[in-house]
Amino acid sequence: MTLLNKFGIGPASSGGRGVTHPGKPGAHDAAGTKTPSHGHGTAMPAAVGTTRAPAVGVESTRVSNGLKELMWNLDGLGRGTLLDMGGAWQATLSFFIEKGFRVTTDDLLRSWKQFLDNEEKEYRERSKSDQSLDLSPGGRASRFFESNIQYPNSSFDVVLLWDLLDYVDPAMATRTVAAITELLRPGGVIFTMFHSKKPEGFQRYRVADAGTLQVVSAQVICPAQRVYQNREIQDLFGRYRTAKSFIARDQLRENLFIK
Amino acid sequence: MWKKEDSKPQGVAETPSSVAPALASHRDAPAFSPAASQPPVSSKATACISQGIKIKGEITGSEDLFVDGPVEGKVNLANGSLTVGPNGTVKADVIAREVVVRGRIDGRIAGKERVQLWSTGQVNGEIQTQRLAIEDGAILRGKVETGRPVEKSEDRGSVTAGKPNGATVSAGTTI
Repeated sequence: MTLLNKFGIGPASSGGRGVTHPGKPGAHDAAGTKTPSHGHGTAMPAAVGTTRAPAVGVESTRVSNGLKELMWNLDGLGRGTLLDMGGAWQATLSFFIEKGFRVTTDDLLRSWKQFLDNEEKEYRERSKSDQSLDLSPGGRASRFFESNIQYPNSSFDVVLLWDLLDYVDPAMATRTVAAITELLRPGGVIFTMFHSKKPEGFQRYRVADAGTLQVVSAQVICPAQRVYQNREIQDLFGRYRTAKSFIARDQLRENLFIK
Repeated sequence: MWKKEDSKPQGVAETPSSVAPALASHRDAPAFSPAASQPPVSSKATACISQGIKIKGEITGSEDLFVDGPVEGKVNLANGSLTVGPNGTVKADVIAREVVVRGRIDGRIAGKERVQLWSTGQVNGEIQTQRLAIEDGAILRGKVETGRPVEKSEDRGSVTAGKPNGATVSAGTTI
């Protein structure tokens, strides 16, 4: 019995550096087929309730060459710092914490949506004579970053941006990349993905292992805004010295940008 | 005759509405469905701040505490555990042996042994703990530090003086 089991929060058989696994990603079986993991059968604590069906379902797993390359780049970094902008997932946190990273999570899309809702409410409440709020996309994006994603400059080695830029307007995307660039240390890496076709739904991604991502269908927070061409992506990350792209079969382009 | 039978149940003491769904859901729910099958108040918690009570100030103690209402200030339970219920909103730095979040905490959490975020939980702030469990759907905005001992907080006993205009709650006292 591991120490985690002793406390009633650990997986059946794994060590871990502090983060327990609610559903150890069950990506591949012996035959090499991919099976989604729903967290069933794991010895996660009854108290946390991970033996019940998760709030969101894992649809599939996908091989991620971008993630492989990212991990290769981070090899030997030691105790790095990572910002995950795709929300808090136990699997992703566990993976990077076990690799020695100090992890910060900040759900960009959720914060953006909340900000937009608040702005709309505020705009409605203002009298007609006083509607001086700059509602241009650029103005909104600037105001968003005045109160969100507040971290010291050069404080992260890695930023996981996932495919979130597809779901914000171009002005916000530009402003997001600029903000992240400030947060990254020189030599820091952004991992991002872009859809080749406009996605209908919304998916979250979590790390299963060094080369595999779990794809989780989730409630749409913001609808997809646009499909970026390769050239536009390069322009968006024009300040980065190295760019690597990986084209996957599932209409996703994975990109690594090194500052 | 029919009327008599119909009216009979009205005179019988009814099961409290808060209990009935809990029992019903307990029967129907799968093996673990904490949100549905568990009572709103942890049976282990010796102190409870319910939805209708607002606390502003410092809470210190060494026993378990369940918070299902608004709390603002500071929470230091030393060796006790803090459970924030689904209706709980804690705007405070929290120090406890164990912190379970089903509601919302805005502030720094130092859980000596472990911190658990349930699917309905939301934390805006830093989490420092030995072990962290996050259920799918939980929201976390902030830094996570796990795997090393949290700094030792002073155990000031069950009751301490709070801020002059604030409330002091000793864990162990049911409000």
